[in-house]
Amino acid sequence: MKTLRLIGIGGALAYRALFNWTTPAMYVGTLLAGPTFQLLFFAYLGRQLQVADDRFFIVGNAVLAASTAGVFGGTMAVANERRYGTLGHVLLSPRSRTVIFWGRVLPYAGNGLLITAFTLGMGVLLLGLRLPLDALPGLALALAAGSLACGFFGLTLGALGLRFRDVWVVSNVSASLLLLLTGVNVPREGLPAWMISVGQLLPITHAAEAARRFAAGEGLSAAAPQLGWELLVGAGYALLAAALLRIFEAESRRRASLETL
Amino acid sequence: MLRTLLIGTLLHAKHLSRSPFEIALALVIPLVQATLAVYLFRAGDEPHRLLEAAVGAGLMGIWSSVLTGSGGAIQRQRWHGTLEMIMLAPRHPVLMILPITAASAVTGTYSLLATLLWGRLIYRIPLDFRHPVAFLVAAVVCVVGLSMFGLLMASTFVLLRNANALANPLEYPIWLLSGMLVPIATLPSWTVPIAAVLPTTWGARALREATSGGPVWPSAGVCLAISAACLVLGALFLVSFERRARAAGTLALS
Repeated sequence: MKTLRLIGIGGALAYRALFNWTTPAMYVGTLLAGPTFQLLFFAYLGRQLQVADDRFFIVGNAVLAASTAGVFGGTMAVANERRYGTLGHVLLSPRSRTVIFWGRVLPYAGNGLLITAFTLGMGVLLLGLRLPLDALPGLALALAAGSLACGFFGLTLGALGLRFRDVWVVSNVSASLLLLLTGVNVPREGLPAWMISVGQLLPITHAAEAARRFAAGEGLSAAAPQLGWELLVGAGYALLAAALLRIFEAESRRRASLETL
Repeated sequence: MLRTLLIGTLLHAKHLSRSPFEIALALVIPLVQATLAVYLFRAGDEPHRLLEAAVGAGLMGIWSSVLTGSGGAIQRQRWHGTLEMIMLAPRHPVLMILPITAASAVTGTYSLLATLLWGRLIYRIPLDFRHPVAFLVAAVVCVVGLSMFGLLMASTFVLLRNANALANPLEYPIWLLSGMLVPIATLPSWTVPIAAVLPTTWGARALREATSGGPVWPSAGVCLAISAACLVLGALFLVSFERRARAAGTLALS
């Protein structure tokens, strides 16, 4: 019960304290308008090049929309502790740091889910995408899996913030690579084999595939393997983040660089 | 006046070149965009337009740089605590702010060079421009046009405490409306008048025409004319918004 409280209340408090984009202007501008414009750009580019139909780009970019909140939010969850001078207090806590930081991912995953749903809704409204009603629960599942995996991916990047001072470079480059390697905007069969292999290990890739299957009217059985892979990728990043946080914390203490900016 | 602009641009370009964040983003992101464009155009079975795609991706990089630069032009000075000093300088505020956006556009030209080289070296895209000299001139016109458009945006950011909120979502709409990769003809008709008043539209058109053929100079001329209008409007807005921000006591608030 105490662990659940730590995850729930601790995560919510950390979200309010550390996420820089909660003001209405930043939230609407960066997290709602930005992904919508990105979706429109790729949908029109896809129409012009006839690479794939609108559904491919709308569903893919809707799933990718979770990455902004997940990747940057996860990074802020660790990096901003250092920036605000509170990292030492967190690391002195008698509770498990792994649980504390995992709990921080949940608000970002929830946020990501909200943003993906909004972006998908904008795709339906602006570009006339038609989705079968019975596809919605499956789509929600795929979007949630993608958002969760993105949150843990972001936490892994945030963990690098304990070792590298300018972790925002890593976050920005990673967000940009997700655009290319996850097959959200380029059909994966058109990418070189090594890019496909890297994409398999990234969040979003499998969630986008699962979401596209649901949007095409296929059932849970068709999308289940991709959903499973997405959850596995998310779990992998959760473990990697926990390991990196532990290693870099020990190293930062040893080098006395814990709060160096 | 010219000396102030040139020294200011050099100073801010040097400042940008000391930031590992700016350098890393400027080095990597244009290449990712160029790669994405190449694979999309290949998937669309339009390999003959790969050079256009590389040029378009490069121009997208310049715009991203200007957008970040103009969004950050005011914000960074606030964070550094230097905005009030800049506004109190005995020169016109435009001479203080234009070099910041110009420096962003000048450093952003790396994007164009990088995407062209990346395309040539990695994807063997032949760099056979239809009008090579006109291409160079059009690139300079684009840089000038984007600097002044950046100034117009930066001037409005004086009023906003969180300019990034406005700057962040403006990247894709300008890419889209200016026809940097997507031809404007494929967009809804109501977007045409908006596209027509953007200097980026005419700059992109001039570069495209220099790449694959067409009358470069009229497009370059329209780009410069709109840029001049942006400069005049930017100057008016900057002075007006600066006064309002000083009266409201919000100039230095971040």
